[in-house]
Amino acid sequence: MLILSTLLTNCSSVKKLSIFKQEVPRAELNLDKPTALQLEQIKWIIITSENADEVFEKMKEQGIDPVLFGLNDKDFQLIAKNFAQIRNQLKITNDLLDKYKEYYETPVKKKQQ
Amino acid sequence: MFGSLKIAMVAILITGIAGAGIYVMKLRSDNAILKANQIKLESAVADQKQLIENQKKDFEEILDANNKMNVLVTALKNDLDDLDKRFNKKNRDIGKLAIQKPKPIERIINKGSANATRCIEIASGAELTENEKNATKKSEINPECPSIANPKYVAY
Repeated sequence: MLILSTLLTNCSSVKKLSIFKQEVPRAELNLDKPTALQLEQIKWIIITSENADEVFEKMKEQGIDPVLFGLNDKDFQLIAKNFAQIRNQLKITNDLLDKYKEYYETPVKKKQQ
Repeated sequence: MFGSLKIAMVAILITGIAGAGIYVMKLRSDNAILKANQIKLESAVADQKQLIENQKKDFEEILDANNKMNVLVTALKNDLDDLDKRFNKKNRDIGKLAIQKPKPIERIINKGSANATRCIEIASGAELTENEKNATKKSEINPECPSIANPKYVAY
């Protein structure tokens, strides 16, 4: 009896339950960067009280409506500075996006090299 | 009397040997567990070292990105200041100049406008041309935004 019970208890085995965790990395966003701008060239016309007639005549000859949307010299400087600020902001935002992409979307293994 | 004493002695002896055997087996089992623990600890230490190394690299990368952004912001601010200086250099009045010489000023304004347009394209991510990349002289650069248009240019 003793031998039988010993055999039954010692030979039977319960497998150890193994629980494992596997970290699944979040899928990369991988959005394409916006296409770079291709802007149209605009032409500035300088008009003074002295050359106004000449400028309008020339416009008529070229088949352009003889009308101008004007800025004085101070406002011209302001519009130039405004555009420069917009350009700077665009550049900073674009570079910031590149840095984030580089940091978060470069595989860890590539970083370790 | 002696018979039962003998039996007792033999029983003690057998028990002793069995006990020693069980003890040795327990020691072996403990040893195996300790070895396994040692391997796990070594592996954990290696993981930790790797983690610290990765964190160090991440910090370096963050620092580098911050520095680069600061350099860019400073360079762009300089470009903007430079534009302001060009308009008002030596008490220059662009309005008066335009009245005196409308045609040449118109040409200068249109050239500046084309350069500024190109700057916006570059800022939005357009590739630099070979000429822009290799420009080192004042006559070759885009004076509106040399910091982003002409990487090889050093102001002189």
